[in-house]
Amino acid sequence: MSPTRVLVGGIGYRNLTDHSAGVLVVDMLAGRAWPEHVNVEELSYGPVAVAQRLDDETGKGRFGRLIAVSSVARGGGRVPGTITAYAWDGVLPSPEDVQAAVAEAVTGVIAMDNTLIVCRQFGALPPEAVVVEIEPLWQDSGEELSAPIAAIFDEICALVTDLATDETAVRRLPIAPLGGRIAARSGAS
Amino acid sequence: MCFKNLPVEFDAQGKAFLREGVSDPYGKSTSIPRGVPTQLTAEKVAELVKRNGHIQNVDFDPVTRVAGALAFHTVADVKERKVLEARSIATLFRGYEVIMVGRDPRDAIYITSRACGVCGGVHSTCSAEAIEMAIGCTPPPLGIIIRNLALALEFLYDHPLHLHLLAGPDYSAAILEGTNPSLLAKAHTTEAAHADSHGYRTVGDLMTDLNPLTGRLYLEALHMTRVAREAYVLICGKYPHPQTIVPGGMSSTITLTVMNEMYLRLAQFFDYSKKIAGIWDDITDFFYTYDARYKKVGARRANMIDTGIFDHPDAYDATYENAAAWGDKRWATPGAIVDGKLLTTDLHTINIGLEEFVEHSYYEEWAGNGQRQHFPTDPTGKPLSPYHPWNKITKPRPQGQSWKEKYTWDTAPRWDRQGMEAGAYARLWNTAVAKKHPESPFLEATGNSIRIRLPKGTLPETEIEWHVPDVWNAFERNRARAYCVGYTAMVAMDNWLLAMKRLGMGDTRTSTPFEIPKKGEQRGVGFWGAGRGYLTHHLTLDRGAVSNYQILTPSTWNASPTDHWGQPGPYEEAVLNTPLLEETDDPKAFRGIDILRAIRSFDPCMPCTTHIQSEAGMIVREVNTCACALDE
Repeated sequence: MSPTRVLVGGIGYRNLTDHSAGVLVVDMLAGRAWPEHVNVEELSYGPVAVAQRLDDETGKGRFGRLIAVSSVARGGGRVPGTITAYAWDGVLPSPEDVQAAVAEAVTGVIAMDNTLIVCRQFGALPPEAVVVEIEPLWQDSGEELSAPIAAIFDEICALVTDLATDETAVRRLPIAPLGGRIAARSGAS
Repeated sequence: MCFKNLPVEFDAQGKAFLREGVSDPYGKSTSIPRGVPTQLTAEKVAELVKRNGHIQNVDFDPVTRVAGALAFHTVADVKERKVLEARSIATLFRGYEVIMVGRDPRDAIYITSRACGVCGGVHSTCSAEAIEMAIGCTPPPLGIIIRNLALALEFLYDHPLHLHLLAGPDYSAAILEGTNPSLLAKAHTTEAAHADSHGYRTVGDLMTDLNPLTGRLYLEALHMTRVAREAYVLICGKYPHPQTIVPGGMSSTITLTVMNEMYLRLAQFFDYSKKIAGIWDDITDFFYTYDARYKKVGARRANMIDTGIFDHPDAYDATYENAAAWGDKRWATPGAIVDGKLLTTDLHTINIGLEEFVEHSYYEEWAGNGQRQHFPTDPTGKPLSPYHPWNKITKPRPQGQSWKEKYTWDTAPRWDRQGMEAGAYARLWNTAVAKKHPESPFLEATGNSIRIRLPKGTLPETEIEWHVPDVWNAFERNRARAYCVGYTAMVAMDNWLLAMKRLGMGDTRTSTPFEIPKKGEQRGVGFWGAGRGYLTHHLTLDRGAVSNYQILTPSTWNASPTDHWGQPGPYEEAVLNTPLLEETDDPKAFRGIDILRAIRSFDPCMPCTTHIQSEAGMIVREVNTCACALDE
């Protein structure tokens, strides 16, 4: 039996310091050697276009797992530099909020949440959606990462690599709604 | 006489001059707009609210997720079902004018593109045109043609998106069963006149497929945005922020393969154009027949302004001096329409009539207190107001919100001191009336309509015809935008054929080399258009760097606040004229759908969420959005 096709996707805007962390992780990982069933791509070209790209894969080519990596400012006591990893439970918000996510998506907003919501709404999301969130410190323009994010950068890459290549690593993740609401995997506090 | 309020007259050769004997020609007490509507004062409204229990605030409160927001404050008489006060509020300062000062002008193409997540290409192109005017650089014919194609494709993304993803749900069965169940029931028994083009037997069937998220028309629009986007990136590299637009043309390599791949996608709009025009004809006509008061929803004076778009390769030379000539040769004719009458198509006249005011905006005045006016005239010696964008200085001053004082980050642009609206429909209206567009096998302006010949697809070759409407309201804005899909697709076809002809001649040059002058002062203006209509970038260079940059977008016009003279902005005026036809007397069930239809019909261009305050609390509704209204 062929292994589940895995797509590692970085989501975020470039040149926005910590907010670019997911994209930078994928930049780093894309240069590495991967098994044939793993694709590493930037998915920051708009949620609707991402849904359409996922839908283009048919039959055995469809991805079985998406590992989405992005910087997401959730706040709520989550310390900058916290990595939160979970398997999304796939529960969509209200239809009004889904509409809002689509409206944002088609008018230029790129974010982890609306990418996952739009892909799920239109049936394009792989059966397993693994989320790796990084709580940012800086939200300014620029190429540099803040110290807490720079300090965990290699750890994020290692975590994503594990999740892309090791089934058991994925099985160990909690299942959670968008945003996690779970204990952090690690932190820099 | 073109100008009714500004003391600007024209000599026998058509050159504008200031009327003699007017001591302060641009003074706010000298040139007063006449015959325009005015809002009740804030004090009067407060008094009415105090005296009448059935008059209440209906507030659209912003929830800003990302870049910008529109909020809307209204005071409604729920008994009389009318709106007494309307205030349009842009809640975000974006600051492109400030960001651009001191930079290399070439940066503007990439930075100002970020003003919008839908129409980045129009800002890039407008910026490129402003730069090439300032530095004296004319693109080669193929560069001009490819630019036209790129922007037509951007509009083919934009129009279906607005019609079926953003505005469309307001006319869907899912919404109507809550707000207007009787109307929906009638729709289910009303045969659709254009079933042949769109395939829906009844208007109710059509409304069902307009349902958000699941309706076939909603999903089809999502697909069509992909088709347009794919064609666009063939020449622009990426969407929404292109990488191939440069002063002097395009940096794309154009081959027969590129053209063929583009055609395969463009051709998918042949049938879609027939279908979408039929859909919005049927929706509009049904609402009018059901209740003629719907003609008042979003109604306002037919005052419109547009810069035109899509340059003719034999005419465009990037000079200000010849702008009136090359403007008239555009596929979309420039124009200023007042009370439904096209007053001018001359880009100079359009330009010298522009002013921006900030009485109710979070900015400091930069003129009117004896300050020196940097440019008293345009480059051809025609008079300019101290409030003209070339003279404007952006001086942000955040402060508390007050309807009497300042309440928005948007400015109040005016032409001849009148509130004008911008939109794809202005493009259609000017072109239809002026009859100046280039010869085309697909397009024919008649003076009061425009005929659009759509080639055979699955459906047979079909001619659709948009007529200048008798009334101007939310429905006519949407209907015209629907016809703009076919119109834009055929502009693209004209330019596709021209591009093939150039390639056949062996002409593959798409750009002209240029240098940025390092000495002296230069100025330029990009007269272009967004999917939502009018767009200008006014630029001044000083020793090779930007010394002033002013962007005036369609939603800057449309979301404008009330001005010095009490004249409301277009959203405000449209909402003030909107009857509340929702089928409920229960304030808790009130959703404000008619107000939202009025606002959305303009295709507002700012990321925003609109809330309506009712006794049941906040009702959260999305007003649509890209981010270019707020770029002051």
